[in-house]
Amino acid sequence: MLHLRHGLMFWQITLGVLIIAFFLLLAALAPLLAPTEVSPAPPLKFAPRPVESTRGVSARMPLPPAPGLPLGTTQGGYDVAYSVVRGVAPALRFGLLTTALTGLWGCILGAVAGYAGGGVSRIILRVADAFLTFPAIAAIFIFRTLWMQLNFPAIPHVVLQAVTLLHLDPTMLALIMFSWVPYTRLMYATVSRLTGTEFVLAARSLGARPTRIVFRHLLPNALSPVIVLAARDIGGMVLLEAAFTFVGMGSGLPWGTLLVAGRDWIVGPGGNPLTYWWVFLPATVALISFSLGWNVLGDGLNAYLKPQERRRTISRWIQRWGN
Amino acid sequence: MPSLIKFMLRRLAAIPVTLLLITAVLYGLLMFSPATARAQLYMPRGQSHNPNLRPEVLLEQIIVSKGLRDPFPLQYARWAGNLLRGDWGWSPSLRGDVLEGLFVRTPATAELTLYSVILLLPLGVLSGVIAGIRTGCWQDYLFRTLAFIATAIPPFILGIVLLTVFYAGLQWFPVGRIGMADQYMIQGADFRVVTGLLTVDGLLNGMPALSLRALWHLILPAFTLSLLHWATLGRITRAAVLEELDKDYIIAANGRGLPQRWIVWRHILKNAMAPALNSVALSAAALITGVYLVEKIFALPGISEFIVGSVRGAPDLPMAMGAAVYSVLMILPMMLSLDVLQAMVDPRLREGLMS
Repeated sequence: MLHLRHGLMFWQITLGVLIIAFFLLLAALAPLLAPTEVSPAPPLKFAPRPVESTRGVSARMPLPPAPGLPLGTTQGGYDVAYSVVRGVAPALRFGLLTTALTGLWGCILGAVAGYAGGGVSRIILRVADAFLTFPAIAAIFIFRTLWMQLNFPAIPHVVLQAVTLLHLDPTMLALIMFSWVPYTRLMYATVSRLTGTEFVLAARSLGARPTRIVFRHLLPNALSPVIVLAARDIGGMVLLEAAFTFVGMGSGLPWGTLLVAGRDWIVGPGGNPLTYWWVFLPATVALISFSLGWNVLGDGLNAYLKPQERRRTISRWIQRWGN
Repeated sequence: MPSLIKFMLRRLAAIPVTLLLITAVLYGLLMFSPATARAQLYMPRGQSHNPNLRPEVLLEQIIVSKGLRDPFPLQYARWAGNLLRGDWGWSPSLRGDVLEGLFVRTPATAELTLYSVILLLPLGVLSGVIAGIRTGCWQDYLFRTLAFIATAIPPFILGIVLLTVFYAGLQWFPVGRIGMADQYMIQGADFRVVTGLLTVDGLLNGMPALSLRALWHLILPAFTLSLLHWATLGRITRAAVLEELDKDYIIAANGRGLPQRWIVWRHILKNAMAPALNSVALSAAALITGVYLVEKIFALPGISEFIVGSVRGAPDLPMAMGAAVYSVLMILPMMLSLDVLQAMVDPRLREGLMS
């Protein structure tokens, strides 16, 4: 409880938690806010089109906000408000899942490298350096090219299970496979520093096995910088996915798809962002505030996990507001 | 600087290893697909094969003749050998040679990357240093606010906004690589293509106006691309400067009565540069991803055409693999030059005291 109270004394943490809680609430209330008749609910929905708004206007035009259509529709008749609300859950899922899997295997590699040292660490770091030179977008292209023509018996059973259970798509898989390097480097730095300390030596002299030392002693101690990185990554992954969707190679989360549908009415010929603000603004605001929430939370955790800064902020808070 | 040369040689020696690892991983991914998919890598050029041949038979022929059911190392070695010989395969959706297609599109990408880095490196370091030595002053607050905004706006949304305001709205900046009229001039007989970079070639051909116009086309994309990286670089420089300010040698320098300006620009800047440059080197791949996205948004005819232009078409494996390997080939020199720059400002690095 004290940890929570102290954590909330950092305005960044408070703001980040508030924004994320808002999105969680939105995701939980989606069936109420964006009701649908079919099940499972589609991420994008055709808006019911009143007769008077289609008369005289091409059906391809985005419709302005009207009663029953709080944020209007995009080209093709998609309901913007519905898609923004229904887009929260996929975005959360995408960000959390991708970051968790990337972080998981990045951290394990880093911890192994840091603990084992010597040749093993040199090999892992060398591979990490090689992966560092590889842009994620090229990986996504390859995964999408290969996706339709996989040889299922050749794939390890665990991977296949994970992909089907978690509904991974090529974009997620590519991001997971090609963005683990920061985690590994961070983990390696912390773990190799901790490996020389007395408590690890004590554990080893008591006869603890390497796996026990890594998972029980080293990982919990080295996890805090990783959490900061992961918090920032969650927002970043969703933004990246939206960008990929915008150029036609993402996994098609609703927010990015809305932007794609609205693109022609913003920058195309005859498009005007001031006239057709509703095809563009809601999804943009959702994306920016989503990533901002996670970023601010990451900044706050970063400050919170530094002992000096934590002490300074807490004492300043108590001076100003009392205990 | 012999130690610098030694450092460069060490880094150069690491490049083949990196390439080997990356290409092995890429080809390893292909091993999860059936041999018919890998056969696409060896499709015969153009219509040179017998058109009456059924595709299944053709694929089977390729599989047998190229040994695509062999164990991984053999297949990989064959493919890597082809890459080294410059035979990157024939792409059906491009209807052309992959390597040739990549070469044609390189200058646009290289130009955009070059100008973005030129824009963001000095600006990022400069603003980071100024914010660092003026902590708590308005410069610091201004920088932190701007950096916060810059990191919050995703580049592709910034690109759209800039397009709407400056291209569609005010019509100050054009899109594309170069205007129609200039395009004809470039393709004309008396225009000698030297580097392929329009801004440089314009000057070499004695047409500074053309260079200026090419630069004009690059302003919006380069700005879009560098804003995010500028903010990251500036923040890291600022943190490094703050760390340096607390060190004893600054107190000593102050005690000797050195002027503040000298301390900042001779001592602190050099020490803070290394982590800053390192951060840029580490995000070089992210920069290239950004380059491709920005190219697509601003309709620049660069390598992004390879990657994002053809996804909706039929799966085109030679193109995908070629673009991936080529991207790595573009990133490696970038990282190398940043590493060398880092070693130039930090002697500890080039002496190998820090691994």
